[in-house]
Amino acid sequence: MNTIVCVKQVLDPEIPPAKFKIDAEAKQVIPPAGVPPVISVYDERAVEAALRLKDKHKGKITALSMGSEKAADVIKHAIALGADDGFVLQDAAFENLDSFGTAYVLAKAIQKIGEYDLVLCGRQAADWGAGEVGSILAEILGIPVITLASEIQAQDKTLRVKRIVSDGFEVLEAPMPCLITVGSEIGLPRLPAGPRLMMARKKVIPIWRAQDIGAEPTKLDKQNAHTEVIGLSVPTRKTECEMITGATPADAAAHLAAKLSKLI
Amino acid sequence: MSPVSATYWGVPGFFIFWGLFAIAFGLFLRRFYFLFRLVRLGKPENRFDRIGQRITSTLAVIASQGCSLKSVSRTDIAGIGHAWMFWGFGFFLVGYIVFVGLEGGLGLSIPSAFERVYLSILDIVALFVVAAISVAVVKRYITRPARLERKQRRKEKIIMVSLFTAMTSLMMLHYCVEGLRYAAYNLSSAPPIGGVLASFLTSTGSSSATLLGTYNAIWWLNYVLLLGALVYTPHSEHLHPLFSPANILFKSLGPKMALEPIPPEEHAQESFGVSKIPDFTQKQLLDLLACTWCGRCQANCPANLTGKSLSPREMILNLKEHLLDVGPELLAGKADADSMIGSVVTEDEIWACTTCGACQEVCPVNIEHVHKIIDLRRNLVLTQNKMPESAQLMLRNMQSRGHPWAGIQSLRLRGDWTSDQELKVLSDGDTADTLFWVGCTGALVERNVQATLAMTRVLKAASVDFAVLGETETCCGDPARRAGYEFQFQMMAEQNIEVFKSHNIKEIITSCPHCYNTIKNEYPRFGGDFKVVHSTQFIADLIAQGKLKLTKDLKSRLTYHDPCYLGRYNDVYQEPRQILQAIPNTTLVEMERSRNKGLCCGAGGGHTWIEEQPGTTKINQLRLQDALGTGAAQVVTACPYCLQMFEESIEHKDKKDSLKVQDLAEIVEAAMR
Repeated sequence: MNTIVCVKQVLDPEIPPAKFKIDAEAKQVIPPAGVPPVISVYDERAVEAALRLKDKHKGKITALSMGSEKAADVIKHAIALGADDGFVLQDAAFENLDSFGTAYVLAKAIQKIGEYDLVLCGRQAADWGAGEVGSILAEILGIPVITLASEIQAQDKTLRVKRIVSDGFEVLEAPMPCLITVGSEIGLPRLPAGPRLMMARKKVIPIWRAQDIGAEPTKLDKQNAHTEVIGLSVPTRKTECEMITGATPADAAAHLAAKLSKLI
Repeated sequence: MSPVSATYWGVPGFFIFWGLFAIAFGLFLRRFYFLFRLVRLGKPENRFDRIGQRITSTLAVIASQGCSLKSVSRTDIAGIGHAWMFWGFGFFLVGYIVFVGLEGGLGLSIPSAFERVYLSILDIVALFVVAAISVAVVKRYITRPARLERKQRRKEKIIMVSLFTAMTSLMMLHYCVEGLRYAAYNLSSAPPIGGVLASFLTSTGSSSATLLGTYNAIWWLNYVLLLGALVYTPHSEHLHPLFSPANILFKSLGPKMALEPIPPEEHAQESFGVSKIPDFTQKQLLDLLACTWCGRCQANCPANLTGKSLSPREMILNLKEHLLDVGPELLAGKADADSMIGSVVTEDEIWACTTCGACQEVCPVNIEHVHKIIDLRRNLVLTQNKMPESAQLMLRNMQSRGHPWAGIQSLRLRGDWTSDQELKVLSDGDTADTLFWVGCTGALVERNVQATLAMTRVLKAASVDFAVLGETETCCGDPARRAGYEFQFQMMAEQNIEVFKSHNIKEIITSCPHCYNTIKNEYPRFGGDFKVVHSTQFIADLIAQGKLKLTKDLKSRLTYHDPCYLGRYNDVYQEPRQILQAIPNTTLVEMERSRNKGLCCGAGGGHTWIEEQPGTTKINQLRLQDALGTGAAQVVTACPYCLQMFEESIEHKDKKDSLKVQDLAEIVEAAMR
């Protein structure tokens, strides 16, 4: 079973909120110095899902990441976790693409790789959180898509997927090849097995440019983008604290209940 | 006339005597060879380097009993007792050899004056031995100190009783044989106690035939008991007299407690660390047989003192019992070795260790407990991917962020502490001779940054030319290594060594004892040889050179908490104390547990991040009690983890008014102005 996992490198979501800076004019995030970017959490779960399938059914895992040259680090991370191979998609033309452009580039790379039974993505990226690329990618590739998977089982040429919905889960089946986006409900990713870490660190990750994957310049033209960023701002967080008092604890509880009933 | 010259049931005593010797030595050697083969089940390890030094130091430590005199506390006299017994039996051993020669019917003789002198010595020595045994019996069965308390297996109880009985009997038999001989042969100039006994026997008016008959019988009994003890010892689990000397001989001569790397040629293996008996090295298996059950390790183990499931002694003895159980089948190749994790050693025990090294420091026979625990962790983490969730979080952070701290645990970024400071921060291509290596905690945790900044101000005040790495500094790798995640450590070691070399660094000063130990003692194995100095050593040197003057009167009563990785790991006890004593008008008081017996703060071995298991109390709270017990107003330490652990326990116990914790650099800075 051959799996392709799409992984994105994002700004460390664990940085202290006060350190998060943006350039409102350029509509860009300013990455703080000395903080290495990390693999998007959901994408790491997608790698874990691929590894669990590989544990059972063997096969090959290829990781793909579109981003800067530094994205080689997330490919190396995926390889350390157990992926067999990986490529970075980097080109000036790929910068600041919207979900449609990103999906197009990934689709071209996947078509270049050729044979696959399954494409996995995280449910959404940990930075922009649009959650669109997976579905659009499936559309371009012309394969079925199941989103928000919490469990994937393979049988012959069919995949059986537990999909998270607001009040529980549903079980869906799809023929291979197909695309699945993975939710964090799938479980904690493993720690990279020891020696793979060192092996991955020394590995040279090939970089594919636009012409390597045969991406058409018109499709990458910002003029043809489906979405546009109008503005960017850091959300302001306001917290108010009010002490609820009362003569006795029972009194205080009654006041609290009254206050809460008004809020609901 | 010796009893061997008589004939018994038609057999000459001579043949019976040497026949018994042959059988006893045969049985002894057969069992000894079996135990030797058990040790050989382990992986070979070269411990034959510097063999001359090894032999001399081993002989010295055993002869002087320096090993057993490593007492648990000043009031514990067990070491003295053991030394008496050891020296006493030493005299007896020489005596037995001499008398076997004399009485074995070989026609040898020595001047009777010498014989009398030697017997007189043995008379006195036996008194000491019996006294020591009596104290040991009282200690073990009546006063029962905590370190000796354990759920003994039945066979161990039998061994202890047999041992005490045999030793006492041999001493008593010495007097009896002697008294009977002097009485039966009516010899003059008897040794003191033997003489008293001889006159008493003569005064009873027994016939010389009766005396002679009794003498013969007791004489034989003495040798049968002696040879019996020779056979019994290796067959019992009381193996330390046979294996402890070898264990001392093959002790590690490298930096104390430095870990062995997993070598590159083993990186492609399927399994790492230790889960089965053959995964251990031969020295590690020898450790098991050498254990004396003394419990010094347990009495000093911070995990054990706070009610965790780990006892270093139980761990070693459980492994030893397992080795003796499965050894015969493994030797016969009948069975594959089973995993010991979960059955012989539990995961809780493996993770409770703070790697403080207190167990190894007091072990009289140089057992290396910490290596075994790290090897077991290596198996859990690298092979089985099993670890406490908090350990996994720490390791994931190290991997993706280059340091063990994350998110809400730290409100700072790596390079933040350097902002608004006039510091030489190295960029690509810059070079510097002296680097101040801050360490993750010193750069990322608010309270520790205060200490880091104090240190930079001290260095500047002494006009030291130094640089820092700022945001490009990463973790030294220690927490990963102590958690068993060896490859993450190796990667970080290689990266850091590359960075040091790229900046042409010659000397590294660091305030973190964990970084200090790692860079100084563990990086050389990866090609990084730098001069590494701990900030306490550096400051002590500045004071000695007159570059730093501590003039301000602090009028303070201080106590110093020894960080394990500075003290026990690197023997830096003196410098921090010198600095504190150089401050005018301060009184330095010692905690009951200090220097090499200092109690861990609880944060070593990755435990700054790995959650402490439930027990009777937390380790840092126990240590807080020690500090409060001195009546000092301040506890000074020289490690970011210790500082944190004290801050946490002081806060938790609401003792802010009575005790303040400071890093040594902070108090030095305060004493400068």
